[in-house]
Amino acid sequence: MKTNKNISLKDVGKKLPFEVPENYFENFALQMDEKIMGKRFSLRNYFKPWIYIAASLVGILLAGQIFYTVYQNNTRNKEDNYEAYVLSQVDESSIVDYYVDKPAN
Amino acid sequence: MNPIEEELQNELNQPRKRAGAFTKVVREYQERLYWHIRKMVLSHEDANDILQNTFMKAWNGLDGFRGDSQLSTWLYRIATNETLTFLANKRMRNISSMDDIEDSLLQNLKAESYFNGNEIQLKLQKAILTLPEKQRLVFNMKYFDDITYEQLEAVLGTSVGALKASYHHAVKKIERYFEDEED
Repeated sequence: MKTNKNISLKDVGKKLPFEVPENYFENFALQMDEKIMGKRFSLRNYFKPWIYIAASLVGILLAGQIFYTVYQNNTRNKEDNYEAYVLSQVDESSIVDYYVDKPAN
Repeated sequence: MNPIEEELQNELNQPRKRAGAFTKVVREYQERLYWHIRKMVLSHEDANDILQNTFMKAWNGLDGFRGDSQLSTWLYRIATNETLTFLANKRMRNISSMDDIEDSLLQNLKAESYFNGNEIQLKLQKAILTLPEKQRLVFNMKYFDDITYEQLEAVLGTSVGALKASYHHAVKKIERYFEDEED
């Protein structure tokens, strides 16, 4: 037997019978900020272009340094070789005469 | 389109302002979307997870959002899809057990610490759970949020005529449920 035939949606109302934890929406928004910003500004992504630029500069400097060292060595070798060549063309007595005739400073 | 939505949409289209604009989007729509989801899944924890997925999907899919629809409509669509996917997965997991998903949702609701309804409100939730999922969506959005049929059409992709019929049948079924419960 029906005890109350008048019960309808109007009796229930439209208020939702749910709650959320305290400060839920404030905390949720902050949590999402972290996720979004974290993803966007992750250290790896943030520094990526700088890492590429720095690596390129270091590469250029290293290549320059290597080129310069090799060039210097070659120049020095050439000078040493020339000096040895000149000395080999002069006999010992000429060298002694050179030093004897050279006025003392 | 309302001015806030228009401004947000403009900012989202500018790469430099995008992240900042999206944090505003979260603050603007989180409550509406949360309650939209919560009414379907009933549990706060589940609603929280789905809401997070919704915003992450939206953030990752921003390039695909061309502004053909309103921002709010697009977000509601994502939230609805995420909710239906969650329920489908839950249904798959429950396939081996004897309980159907609606029983499981109801059990969760009774055990839910964030339910503060009275007996008649609990009865309404039980009645809503007897409706098919799509009809539950229509009923919840229309009854609790008073969303227009045109907005519903944009979100659910169902014609206004079909939505009106669906809502009308939902109300009848719920009232019949109340009557049967009182027998």
